[in-house]
Amino acid sequence: MSVDVLTRPLFSVRGLCLSFPDQSRKPLFGAAPRIEVLKGLDLDIPEGRITGIVGESGSGKSTLGRVLVRLLTPDAGQVLLDGKDIAHLDEDALRPLRRDLQMIFQDPMSSLNPRHNVARIITTPMKRYGLGGSHADALAALERVGLGAAFAERYPHELSGGQRQRVGIARAIALKPRFILADEIVSGLDVSSQAQVLSLLKDLARDMGLTVAFISHDLSVIRHLCDDVIVLNLGEILESGSVEQVFDNPQSEVTKTLLDAIPLPELDPDWFD
Amino acid sequence: MTDRPTLDILQLTVTLRGGRKLLRDVSLKVQPGEVRALVGESGAGKSMIGKAVLGILPPNIKPTEGEILLDTHHLNAMTPVTRRRTVSKIASLIPQDPLTALNPVRKIGPQIVDPLIHIHGWSRDKARERARELLDRVQIRNTDRVLQSYPHELSGGMRQRVLIASAFAPSPRLIVADEPTTALDVTVQKQILRLIRELQQETGTAVLFVTHDMGVVAKISQRVSVLFAGRVMEDAATEDVFRNPQHPYTEALIAATPSYSDLNRSFSPVPPALIADLHAKIAAEEAAS
Repeated sequence: MSVDVLTRPLFSVRGLCLSFPDQSRKPLFGAAPRIEVLKGLDLDIPEGRITGIVGESGSGKSTLGRVLVRLLTPDAGQVLLDGKDIAHLDEDALRPLRRDLQMIFQDPMSSLNPRHNVARIITTPMKRYGLGGSHADALAALERVGLGAAFAERYPHELSGGQRQRVGIARAIALKPRFILADEIVSGLDVSSQAQVLSLLKDLARDMGLTVAFISHDLSVIRHLCDDVIVLNLGEILESGSVEQVFDNPQSEVTKTLLDAIPLPELDPDWFD
Repeated sequence: MTDRPTLDILQLTVTLRGGRKLLRDVSLKVQPGEVRALVGESGAGKSMIGKAVLGILPPNIKPTEGEILLDTHHLNAMTPVTRRRTVSKIASLIPQDPLTALNPVRKIGPQIVDPLIHIHGWSRDKARERARELLDRVQIRNTDRVLQSYPHELSGGMRQRVLIASAFAPSPRLIVADEPTTALDVTVQKQILRLIRELQQETGTAVLFVTHDMGVVAKISQRVSVLFAGRVMEDAATEDVFRNPQHPYTEALIAATPSYSDLNRSFSPVPPALIADLHAKIAAEEAAS
């Protein structure tokens, strides 16, 4: 397809390995044994597209996301951003990149400061990066996520789950990033707010030319939102490709199991069998 | 149906201090062995119904009108103490969040066993035996280890299994399941739903199943109450709801549920116009009454 020729990868990941110490098996003296969470991943995240990262709990999908935005440092391997390896850059060298790599979190209540109003939540990072940060900037960002000016003065506890998640999106896009990591951003929402937040994210990504990595365990959501999908299991990539390829012709048992586990809104007396 | 329902809610109205009605004229029945889903968006009052039945509403919220009949007991006519004693013997709760529902500083074993001894009057040996049996039943392999564990040592799926075992252990007539799978990922959700269904079919327990997911409704329930703003919009057999929804709000909820198999469907939020319309109708009714 012509799309493949035009899109180049924003991220190229090669041989990515990461492990955590397992404190529950730590001997009295000496180091704790390590659990390998990511076992040598090779993948590309194409620029300007939405890539779904899917897998069961413990598959390493969130860990992979956090390595991409360099909240975690891998043990080995390369994370090429525009061809430049950012896998082991120190905090000083990362700072100019932070603005480009934004994140939207699963739980908006714990990722928005409860003592700050919405305007301040949105403008604080803007000021940090010298991108303005006036009240008008906050209103503009709110408007992009479909929230009126009245929301600027509100505090997170005064908002519904869907509205909070919109504020999280507004904070991320106000920095005009190149990449957004969205980690299970709709799993806490009811279906109607979920549909709203997803269509908002899709529109924004298209309008702003954003590259998005969307982590989810819900393949129905991935199918509707994403262009490409990566299926992870126990720290390894089982399959990847365009959503059409993976959904119409799933290669691995895990993908099939994940598809079967989704309760579709239709009658199916044999679903449990 | 000639069976007497396990739970019969008649025109229940629940009011917040200050007079705002959080539930209005809610009526529904749950027959023995039946799963009734309560579905609606956040704030529709679906959890409130379960809480009203179990008598665990927050202190500033009170049932003001209507009746709750649980297995022939008129709950709203009882004193709080008799009510609590009666309900705790007949009904159990499977809560949404398995971490906050378990006491973090006590082992799993006593948390399952103690209610069987103190509420149901069983001997310690019988209660322990039953706890093992139920943990085995919810496919926990290393029963003895789990009984000796603290909640933080178990995964989310394991904790939810423990709570299901605990809810079913006294063979209750009614179980209120308040979004028991919302915090779990899809593969674990399917296992948990299957367990609830199997146990419920074996024991003939009636289940009031609170969820916002029309997909879950389609798989687990026989009947559905669709709630909006504290009112029942539609009460019907699950089959009929999916074949031929009678209320536009029901239809909108189904349309809002993502489905990977049907891409032609819009996967659209409930239209704001419909919500405004429903609110207007409700306001008009209230003005008229």
